[in-house]
Amino acid sequence: MSDFSFWVILSNLLLATRWTILLSLIAFVSGGIVGLALLFARTSGIGWLQNLTKGYIEFFQGTPLLMQLFLFFFGVALFGLEVSPWVAAWLALTFWTSAFLTEIWRGCVEAIPKGQWEAGDVLALTYFEQMRYVILPQAMRIAIPPTVGFSVQVVKGTALASIIGFVEVTKAGTMLNNATFRPFLVYSLVALIYFALCFPLSYTAKKLERRLYAAR
Amino acid sequence: MPLVDISKVTKSFGPTQVLKGVSVEVERGDVVAIIGKSGSGKSTLLRCINGLETYDDGAITVDGMDVGEARKKKNLRDLRRNVGMVFQQFNLFPHLTAEENVMLAPRVVNKATPGEAKVLAAEALAKVGLSDKAGNYPSQLSGGQQQRVAIARALAMRPNVLLCDEITSALDPELVNEVLRVVEALAKEGITLILVTHEMRFARDVGTKLVFMHQGKVHEEGPPKELMAKPKTAELQQFIGSAH
Repeated sequence: MSDFSFWVILSNLLLATRWTILLSLIAFVSGGIVGLALLFARTSGIGWLQNLTKGYIEFFQGTPLLMQLFLFFFGVALFGLEVSPWVAAWLALTFWTSAFLTEIWRGCVEAIPKGQWEAGDVLALTYFEQMRYVILPQAMRIAIPPTVGFSVQVVKGTALASIIGFVEVTKAGTMLNNATFRPFLVYSLVALIYFALCFPLSYTAKKLERRLYAAR
Repeated sequence: MPLVDISKVTKSFGPTQVLKGVSVEVERGDVVAIIGKSGSGKSTLLRCINGLETYDDGAITVDGMDVGEARKKKNLRDLRRNVGMVFQQFNLFPHLTAEENVMLAPRVVNKATPGEAKVLAAEALAKVGLSDKAGNYPSQLSGGQQQRVAIARALAMRPNVLLCDEITSALDPELVNEVLRVVEALAKEGITLILVTHEMRFARDVGTKLVFMHQGKVHEEGPPKELMAKPKTAELQQFIGSAH
């Protein structure tokens, strides 16, 4: 039992942290890409498309991430496809992230005055051109702080992937606890690691927010 | 055939009918000043011409293009290439410099090369007397200068007709003239202009046609000087009286 020194526990946790970081990054990037596509659909002004995206967002915002992980992990298997915890976690986190980012960004797009759209309209720009050249460059500025802030949620969300057997830092903590029976030490370290990952993000978000506010 | 032909146009916002069968003909080179009290439907009429607003009945054609038809087909691009518009609130793109504001539509819509667009922008900015402000952002310009950039932005598309929606109403009094002077120069060049305006003197001196709207209808129209000197109706007389 005492084979596991503090340093062994910590180094094992840190090794597993790589996967937390990697999963967070991948989920955030692919969630962002899907979210951007959804944003176009959500603000397109095309009724059925907007309703479809709205339903999608409601679903992923209105159900626990854990359920979504289960659905992807066990659900896809129903179609005869073998899903690794990696893929299931990646998919679930991508959809979940995209739903939240779309809503955050929609708010930013809607904060741009109507006159900007009209100016684009009368210059014969299409909807895509208006978004690309007029709206998004302005919306992006206000979107950066809440987007960075939301990345904290993604990092913490990856912890749930431990339940479907994805070995990231939480799962590693559980395994180390089983071997060492030192739950307080192990989970304190796990919590510290999450904090070390998340604090710089939320700090940056706050800084950006303040700078944006000052620039106005 | 008139360049802009507005025929018996009606339009309601909910239960309120704001346009009650409006007909106006605008010939090439005309400078049409639309005047009237707020709520008379003049801005709505203007916004119907380039499809910013829908109308319920009647017809509008611009250069032979049917606006209602184009809206239905969701193909307003050709129409809007030919119809420029300037707003009360300028609506410049704040993240772009004056020059970039002017270059955007020629680049994106007309597929001009960066070189061509730069030349167009330089021409348009020179026309409004702001060549030296090309690199400035809108926030670094005065209201009058911003509005002139907005005019240049519309001109760079070489429109057949320019719609001006109370373009001096948001300006400080001392900045009104520099914008009006630009518009007057455009009128002299022969650009077709339709202006919703409160500048009565400008309407009289520069306009070729005055349209007085009252309660969603064209109440009186005709040559500005004549109409202002001898209004036929009590409403116009009262409006002219209250405006100055």
